[in-house]
Amino acid sequence: MTITQAVRSSATDGAAPKRAGRIRTENRRASAAFYWMVWPAVIAFAGFHTLPVLVGIFFSFTNYAGYGAWNFVGLSNYFNLFQDDRVLQAYGFSFLFAIVATILTNAFSLAIALGLNAKIKARNFWRGVYFVPYILAILVIGYVFQFFFSNSLPKILAGIPLFADNILANEQWACTAIVALAVWQACAFAIIIYLSGLQTIPAEMYEAASLDGASAWRQFTSITFPLIGAFFTINVVLSLKGFLQVFDPIVALTNGGPGTSTESVTLLIFRGGFSGGEFAYQTANAVVFFIVITIVSLFQFRVLQRREADF
Amino acid sequence: MTKRMRTTVRAVAVLATAGLAIGLNACASDASGEVTTLNFFQFKGEALEDFNQMIADFEAENPDIRIVQNQVADADTLIRTLLVKDRVPDIVTLNANGNFGRLAEAGVFYDFSDEPVLETINPAVQDILADLGTYGDEVNGLGYVNNANGVIYNAAIFEEQGLEVPETWDEFIALCDALTAAGITPFYGTLADSWTGVPSWNALGAYPAQDDFFDKMRAQGTDIGPDSEVSFQKDFAEMMDQQYTLYSYMQDGYRGKTYDDGNAAFANGEVAMLLQGIWATNPIKQVNPDIEMGIFPYPGTDDPDDRLLVSGVDVVFTMGKNNPKQEAAMRFIDYAFQTDVIEGFAASQNMVPSVEGAQISDDPALQSVKPFFDDGRITGFIDHQIPPAVPLIPIDQEFLFNGDAEAALKTLDNEWRKVAARTIPVTTGEDQ
Repeated sequence: MTITQAVRSSATDGAAPKRAGRIRTENRRASAAFYWMVWPAVIAFAGFHTLPVLVGIFFSFTNYAGYGAWNFVGLSNYFNLFQDDRVLQAYGFSFLFAIVATILTNAFSLAIALGLNAKIKARNFWRGVYFVPYILAILVIGYVFQFFFSNSLPKILAGIPLFADNILANEQWACTAIVALAVWQACAFAIIIYLSGLQTIPAEMYEAASLDGASAWRQFTSITFPLIGAFFTINVVLSLKGFLQVFDPIVALTNGGPGTSTESVTLLIFRGGFSGGEFAYQTANAVVFFIVITIVSLFQFRVLQRREADF
Repeated sequence: MTKRMRTTVRAVAVLATAGLAIGLNACASDASGEVTTLNFFQFKGEALEDFNQMIADFEAENPDIRIVQNQVADADTLIRTLLVKDRVPDIVTLNANGNFGRLAEAGVFYDFSDEPVLETINPAVQDILADLGTYGDEVNGLGYVNNANGVIYNAAIFEEQGLEVPETWDEFIALCDALTAAGITPFYGTLADSWTGVPSWNALGAYPAQDDFFDKMRAQGTDIGPDSEVSFQKDFAEMMDQQYTLYSYMQDGYRGKTYDDGNAAFANGEVAMLLQGIWATNPIKQVNPDIEMGIFPYPGTDDPDDRLLVSGVDVVFTMGKNNPKQEAAMRFIDYAFQTDVIEGFAASQNMVPSVEGAQISDDPALQSVKPFFDDGRITGFIDHQIPPAVPLIPIDQEFLFNGDAEAALKTLDNEWRKVAARTIPVTTGEDQ
């Protein structure tokens, strides 16, 4: 199920979309030009994405170190994966991080989008300002944040021990700094999606609601939120998927430390596979992670689409 | 759509498709007849300028070769990714650590057995490399310069306070107490760069690791724990306490400072000592060229005669196994190992040159460890014996944060056990 399909079906509450009556053409097939337009994309996608994935799945059944000789080892990599507490810890961290960051991102983005959709002064200027984090390179921002957490905050908040000792060096709380950076960056894109959602709601709805004496809160819960349900679904699914694969903010801020307390699954795959020389073993981990993310995303679509409204 | 237009669209699409297909193939080889361009993969940031100079001198003598130095960060990871992509650089320098040994074992490097330059190198250095790992009985690397992992101290502060270089553990602690009493911070900690905890771990761990600790560990396979014949939990507890004790003499805020911060602070005389190896003396001198430094081995014992200096091959030269530009690459390597060239490089980098007959520079820091090299009281880095899949650096960093030695050693044993359990050796001969 692709995202576009999801949007289309969720915008119509899962009912089959109405087809326009077909115009009879001579050869009842799309013109060949359309096929020729598609081919380059198909070849590029297959070459740069599908093929490497299949090669990776193949090597997850070997003891290949990434170079040199190798043998088939059957499912051993997968069995060993489930006995590795470091992997389980990484999954725990990734899921906790993703859930917290998804909730925060969507709460902040929706609030800001409502504000940017209202009749405020210099509205377009503010929309531009809130979109800036999305354009900046995450690693650059990451190192700015790292300097901020390590050097600026300890001076600004010298009275609070947690910040004075560099929060990034604190095993329990380092993850909150990563959440802060990731949410700060992810909000920009979510705001854009919510804004486009808010613009699909006709103003008459609100006029009618005001005449009936509905409060602002009531208008939000009964009109706004149900009607942008499809956009909420997309945002939650995309941000959870993105946050599960968190990598750059961690590299920039803590590099998985202190200890391995902020090691996400992707960081573990990268570290163990390349620096640790366990290429095939971590490829098996990547295959499992791919399956987990797919299941989680499909599950989210099913649950969230049940509660979307339409008009 | 008219017929002609359709043909045009199709032609454009065919071209685009063909272009993509070509792009997916490996890049075309650059066959330059006149000048051979060599890609020089160089891991050592501090040596960037020295190698640039060396390359310039070499190119002046050999106008038919052009060398492009590619100085990289995180070289161990990058060289693996290049190997995965089958793009081995023409000339490679690496730090001779456990990773280098495993790459050599995989048979991806050239065999230098028959190269005349091998005869000029100190055999003890080549033995250290061979211990890390080789492919069959090949010689897969040429040791260039060697380092020393000791405590760097500010000679001026020691003189001012009337302090002597400590020769036993008790003297070492007494020295730290004396410095603290005089209002001088003994050490500068830089745990924001997590790897900076490991040099002192290696130096203190060298003592319990004597008597073939790691050979016994490997022989035990997956049977590792507090009750096995050898294990981290059994043999390393005292060493961990020693390391944690040293970290109690750090400056405030040592958890959030970086390696560069530490070198600058030491260079400016803010602290008396650094728990770093000789590789740090160069960046320190860049901050303060006039500083007087010495190095002493970590006295992890009560008997001065048992002291050991941890030393490794800091820079090893190698190249890919089947490289069409082998001859040109070898010419540069031969040039780099000429006595005057290696002496200049080693002096500039504050290292011990590996070519026999090449002189150690008269830098006081180097001269202070020379006796240990002369007497052969040197031992290798123990982290080279630990599989890289064991996250040693994070484990040690976490331990220095929370002081829980028992948990850290248990984790080390457990990670070792897991890696041993899931490592399925490649049966060579089935090269596919």
